[in-house]
Amino acid sequence: MDTNNKLGRILMVEDDPKDVELTLTALEEYNLANEVVVTRDGEEALNYLYHRGEFKTRPDGDPAVILLDLKLPKVDGLEVLKQLKSDGKLRMIPVVVLTSSKEEKDMVASYKLGVNAYVVKPVDFHEFVNAIKELGVFWAIINEPPPGSLRK
Amino acid sequence: MAGSNVQVRLAHSPVLRYCLAVASIGTALGLALVSHRFNFHNVEVPLFLFAVAISAWYAGSGPAAVAVALAILLFDYFFTEPRYTFYVTAGDLPYFAVFAGFALLVAWFSAVRRRVERELRQASNRLEAEVAERTRQAGLLDQLNQELKRRSGELEAANKELESFAYSVSHDLRAPLRHMAGYSELLQKRASSSLDEKSNRYISMILDSAKRMGNLIDDLLTFSRIGRAETQKTLISLTQIVKEALSEVRQETEGRNILWKISALPDFYADRSMLRLVLVNLLSNAIKFTRMRPQAQIEIGCTDGNGENLIVYVRDNGVGFDMKYANKLFGVFQRLHQSEAFEGTGIGLATVQRIIHRHGGRVWAEGAVDEGAAFYFSVPNPQGQPWTQTTN
Repeated sequence: MDTNNKLGRILMVEDDPKDVELTLTALEEYNLANEVVVTRDGEEALNYLYHRGEFKTRPDGDPAVILLDLKLPKVDGLEVLKQLKSDGKLRMIPVVVLTSSKEEKDMVASYKLGVNAYVVKPVDFHEFVNAIKELGVFWAIINEPPPGSLRK
Repeated sequence: MAGSNVQVRLAHSPVLRYCLAVASIGTALGLALVSHRFNFHNVEVPLFLFAVAISAWYAGSGPAAVAVALAILLFDYFFTEPRYTFYVTAGDLPYFAVFAGFALLVAWFSAVRRRVERELRQASNRLEAEVAERTRQAGLLDQLNQELKRRSGELEAANKELESFAYSVSHDLRAPLRHMAGYSELLQKRASSSLDEKSNRYISMILDSAKRMGNLIDDLLTFSRIGRAETQKTLISLTQIVKEALSEVRQETEGRNILWKISALPDFYADRSMLRLVLVNLLSNAIKFTRMRPQAQIEIGCTDGNGENLIVYVRDNGVGFDMKYANKLFGVFQRLHQSEAFEGTGIGLATVQRIIHRHGGRVWAEGAVDEGAAFYFSVPNPQGQPWTQTTN
């Protein structure tokens, strides 16, 4: 399968630079890193999605998937999720919560808000790489994103 | 008779009470004499009876008796022929007897009436005292309730704090750990060929430690969650739970030769997921500590206890332990074996104990070095009925 033709863009919302680098490294192994947009907090992510602030002039098109951390500065992950899922247009974008938290209340809260998947970041690096890889492959390649998503 | 609502009070001093009797008879005599002077006759008897009644009413039975005696004497002296003597003709005797009887009757009625009234008053006083006592107790209860509410609020706050602590352990400790493991692995990948054997060993030690700490955090979180979670008891089939636990530890039995002996197991009320955790921990231990046996044997069974408890045991033929350390088995982070020999965090049995305690049961163990170990837990059997067997 020639995956390059139909790569979806991935919006990553993650405040920890070390996690960003690890995730990008994991995605790189499968040539998925080029189409990743990294935002460092909830506000920046919303700015990206709404074409606001520093993303005012970005090209049109929504990401094929949003990888969302829960613990974020300014606007936290659940708040971002809440805003997205209550927006008539943005609610179609698949959102995957990618977090360190195994706490049931986070999981329940995320699913109640309509999250599409909930992934706990594994401590073990192999498992982490596998999880990221599978997420990337599934959401950016296998899954058919909603109309309006950006594809290469 | 006087209106029933009138509060009648006896004069306290006896002298006053007798004076009252004499005075009322005196007044009656005075009124009778005045009436006679104005030629009103036959008023003396009712007047004396009235005075007797007043004496009985206000002064009690003693003064009333004196009043009756005085009334008879005075009636005899002033109003019966021959007047102004105490002489009584035989014909007048029945008249006096009737008068005396009637006067005594009036006195008796008044006395009874007084007594009833007094008892009523006492009863009402007792009632009042009781109401006051009840009110005081209610106040006390209210105070205790307030105190309880305050304490439970404090506990709730402490629990919340613990919860947020566990949350931050779960989230914030895991992230740096993942980075340590991740970047060590990346380093290993990039540099392993150019590093000497020792350096490579150091890197794998870092990786091992990170992994071990990850397991520790997970186990500690499970342990703390059990303290916080509510137990939801349903009727569970232990046979089913054992089956589930076995499939959960299946991976650890790979390449092993284990003879399982599972007897008929009961159904009882317990928290399903917690009890599964108990069995997973016990079975995983049994599998781990029988590792060096070419033929491992693990037995799961149940005895009826003393009728009030069900006792479940997991017995193995593994390395066992010295009974003098039996009390250390269930402590957090307590391990009886060196970590090179048997991996583990030392939290499993502490978790087992916590779960069983939350079910109102207890845990204990028997064993001997190199002769295997048996772990027991009891759960209360509230029905006290012999347990229902499910065939295996």
